[in-house]
Amino acid sequence: MEGKFPNRILPYVLLFPSIAVVVIFLIFPSVQALRLSFFEVSPFTGRGTFVGLANFRELLSSELYRHSLSITLLLATGIVGIGISVSLAVAVLANQPLRGLGVYRVALLWPYALSPAVAGTIWALLFDPSTGPTTLLIRAVTGFSPNWMMSGGYALWITVMAAAWKMLGFNVVFFLAGLQAVPREYREAAEVDGAGAAGVFWRITFPILSPVTFFLFVMNSLYAFFELFGLIDVMTQGGPGGATDILIYRLYQDAFISARWGMGSAQSILLFVMVGVLTLLQFRFAGRRVFYG
Amino acid sequence: MARPGRGRVLLVHALLVGATLVSVFPILYALQVSTLSFQEVFVFPPKLTPGREFLDNLDRAWERVGLGRLLANSAIIALSVAFGKICLSVLAAFAFTYFRNFRGKGLFFVLILITHMLPLPVRIVPMFQLMQNFGWVNSYQALTIPFFASATGTLLFRQFFLTIPPALSDAARVDGAGPLRFLLRILLPLSVNNLAALFMVEFLYMWNEYLWPLIITNSDDMRVVQVGIKMLVATDAQAEWNVIMAGVVAAMVPPLVILLLLQRSFVRSIALGQEK
Amino acid sequence: MHWMAKAMMTGVLTAALLGWSAPGHAQVKITLWHAMGGARYDAITKNIAAGFNKRNPNYVLEPLFSGSYAETVTKAIAAIRAGNPPHIVQVFEVGTQTMLDSGAIIPVTDMVKPGEIKFDDYIEAILNYYKVGGKLYSMPFNSSTAIIYYNKEAFQKAGLDPNKPPATYKDVEEMGRKIVASGAARAAITFGWPSWMLEQSHAMSNKLYADQDNGRTGRATKALFNEPFGVEVLTRWKRWADEKLLAYGGREYAPNKAFLSGEVAMLMQSTSQVTTIEKAAKFAVGTGFLPRTEGQPMGKSVIGGASFWVLKGKGRTPQELDAIVKFFKFIAEPEETAKWHEETGYFPATKTAVTLLTKREWFIKHPNHETAFKQIQQGLDTPATQGVLLGNFVQIRNITDTAIEKTLSGKLSPKEALDEAATEANKLLAEYGRITK
Repeated sequence: MEGKFPNRILPYVLLFPSIAVVVIFLIFPSVQALRLSFFEVSPFTGRGTFVGLANFRELLSSELYRHSLSITLLLATGIVGIGISVSLAVAVLANQPLRGLGVYRVALLWPYALSPAVAGTIWALLFDPSTGPTTLLIRAVTGFSPNWMMSGGYALWITVMAAAWKMLGFNVVFFLAGLQAVPREYREAAEVDGAGAAGVFWRITFPILSPVTFFLFVMNSLYAFFELFGLIDVMTQGGPGGATDILIYRLYQDAFISARWGMGSAQSILLFVMVGVLTLLQFRFAGRRVFYG
Repeated sequence: MARPGRGRVLLVHALLVGATLVSVFPILYALQVSTLSFQEVFVFPPKLTPGREFLDNLDRAWERVGLGRLLANSAIIALSVAFGKICLSVLAAFAFTYFRNFRGKGLFFVLILITHMLPLPVRIVPMFQLMQNFGWVNSYQALTIPFFASATGTLLFRQFFLTIPPALSDAARVDGAGPLRFLLRILLPLSVNNLAALFMVEFLYMWNEYLWPLIITNSDDMRVVQVGIKMLVATDAQAEWNVIMAGVVAAMVPPLVILLLLQRSFVRSIALGQEK
Repeated sequence: MHWMAKAMMTGVLTAALLGWSAPGHAQVKITLWHAMGGARYDAITKNIAAGFNKRNPNYVLEPLFSGSYAETVTKAIAAIRAGNPPHIVQVFEVGTQTMLDSGAIIPVTDMVKPGEIKFDDYIEAILNYYKVGGKLYSMPFNSSTAIIYYNKEAFQKAGLDPNKPPATYKDVEEMGRKIVASGAARAAITFGWPSWMLEQSHAMSNKLYADQDNGRTGRATKALFNEPFGVEVLTRWKRWADEKLLAYGGREYAPNKAFLSGEVAMLMQSTSQVTTIEKAAKFAVGTGFLPRTEGQPMGKSVIGGASFWVLKGKGRTPQELDAIVKFFKFIAEPEETAKWHEETGYFPATKTAVTLLTKREWFIKHPNHETAFKQIQQGLDTPATQGVLLGNFVQIRNITDTAIEKTLSGKLSPKEALDEAATEANKLLAEYGRITK
């Protein structure tokens, strides 16, 4: 067979470490999580009582959980919507032979290199109701003194901004790469045909970008669901009044502060269902050419 | 198409500078606060020029949470996982691409792919129990080994290997070189951009990981720098922002260095991926 | 950098990495997990631990900062499950029931020989919190209560008597309106630890917070904070917020900075912050008793803070037990508990310590440090003032914090928020009851 080596045993040897790690640390615990979700477990003795679907029933009927779900979806929508549109705009702007593009790129990517915890720390300081510079700026300009601890909407808004800010550079870099893969002939042909810049963009460029856009949609959604724990824990701790109480934070609280392992695992399973939907979407559309070239 | 006019270029630069400022201003602000003294942080109107207390603040942060140990731990973990993940992903991708179909190949591939759907929060409680059973709570093993496998990495390299013309490996075989030789001498040098890109992504990911170390470490000597930052912030007393920001600066430097060194490769790797 | 410095740094880093520790004769080490951050970190590490270690060269007390109170408890329980808990863990009052049910502790009464530590020298209110059925389970260490701090200069600017803090909620409203109207401060009042403040308001008016006598005569199954009294308190707070008198600044100690920056003129907060606040404030700070709702019966403010619990682990050697007891004796010494009080504001735990401080004229020079102490000596001793014991109290506090925040931000009415919180709390109490049967 062309290109392939004949060894029969070697592939297994090469695969063994990965498969071992996957089975022991990923597959097995996930199955365990499913099992645990049907139990109520004592934090002291580790003994569990089988409760069937009670944990799930409680979650889905719990005001607290449903609220957490809607907050997470709201947050994700904000991050994806703002993140993608702003970074697309920046990428389009930057998509020309510019001097110093490398410098811009590093500056834009710097927040990506920060941890959510560090980002949360910095933004907590920026928006501090008494001493934060943004607060003072808003106060000086509008006379209004925003206090995120008394306004859940404001707190959520700040969280969206902090999270979108952090992913901006990452999104831009991917969009830039995508833009640069748009064949020039297409754009030039469209311009010759009399299409304005906007027309060129929407008719030609955007469809060609759709795989990248979709990829970033999925990455940013996963980011919103799973990577914001540090940000929330440092900045708002789910508050005020649960306004930023995202699903992963709820899970941490229930599983590790209240030591309710069965309930926590049930939440894990529900999260898995949500990831599953996202991933299936990704696998279905990723290979497809979403434009006709 | 005609070269954009001078005015247009300036406008673009201006807007880009604007975007860059938005990206970078919060970080610069953090840097500035890390140079102030405690009183200077709380003055009103706020002080906008740098102070002279950076080393002092860094010293206090160092002492308060054992910053030196924290940085060392984060470095050990980030480096180990980056290396480990790359090794395992490359080997797995190599196994999938360069050998005749072997039994279980499909199953193994699916197993690795599934991990994409199993981020840590989905299995976090049993993982904690597992660590307890292994006796790995509060250890380097718990912080590194579970992260050694990667669907993204394996996929990335497999895609890349598929773009390499088969003639290359055929030639190697003809020359009597074994598969490992081929991997080391030919494939790896070709994959430099992808290796660097994955290294950067994984190093940053592990350096910045917060939830898992928070749960699994108890003691000062195992803690990582991100949790240390939280500890600086969440003291049961007046948060000393100047000291906190000094800690933040310390936590920011290594990832920034990695970013500076590897971002070009990262970008190139993405571009490579775009070429169909 | 000079190559020698580089070499030294590498050496030190390697040594740190290898966990090298000074070779010494066999010392008995006891570990203490605590949540004392900020200035108190230095006090516990440099003064208390160092002092004890110096006095007892055969023993080494190793204090480890484990995060917040909630995180410390969680980690301790996880360590108990893993079989390697620390010798001593500092647990806040809210974790008391959890520790009692853990089956992993050695009650202090069982460890200390009668007369070895003079417990009757201890201030009653403090000891009583940690006593159940006449037995002392944990060693009091840092006890506090809530008081009100106020900005004397702001009071003067508003035309108020700078030596008269508000005594009732009505006072807070009247004084607060004057303060905001005169521009002396942006807002009149703020408070930390919202749930604790709700608990305090109940205790100060002799109202129960949960059934079974606040969980003291049996396991509590029903939260009572959504009864008319609790709703009334929260309604008052909401009214303050609506009138822009109250500027909510976050939980725990976060609102301190609003007070310190002069933004807010009054702060209801733990007395454990007295030293820090006096030091950091650029204005004269006054303190007073926690304001009460008027027209309600008299109660007493409730003890907060934390205590030291001894964990069994897989069994402790006689030397370890002796070391622990010696440590407890150390912190009970009048000089030590007096010093801890001076550095923080937590109560001096024993009557002898109080006498010592009085002789030194400490309270005359630092009247603010005496306020909380005077407060817990007045009022009634009833189950409602002894302190609430609830399983899963950590999470229940979170729930009530959320309810208060939701009310203040206008999302729910006080009754709705407290009813919702009570429902969730009762669910948790029921689950706790099932699990610990």
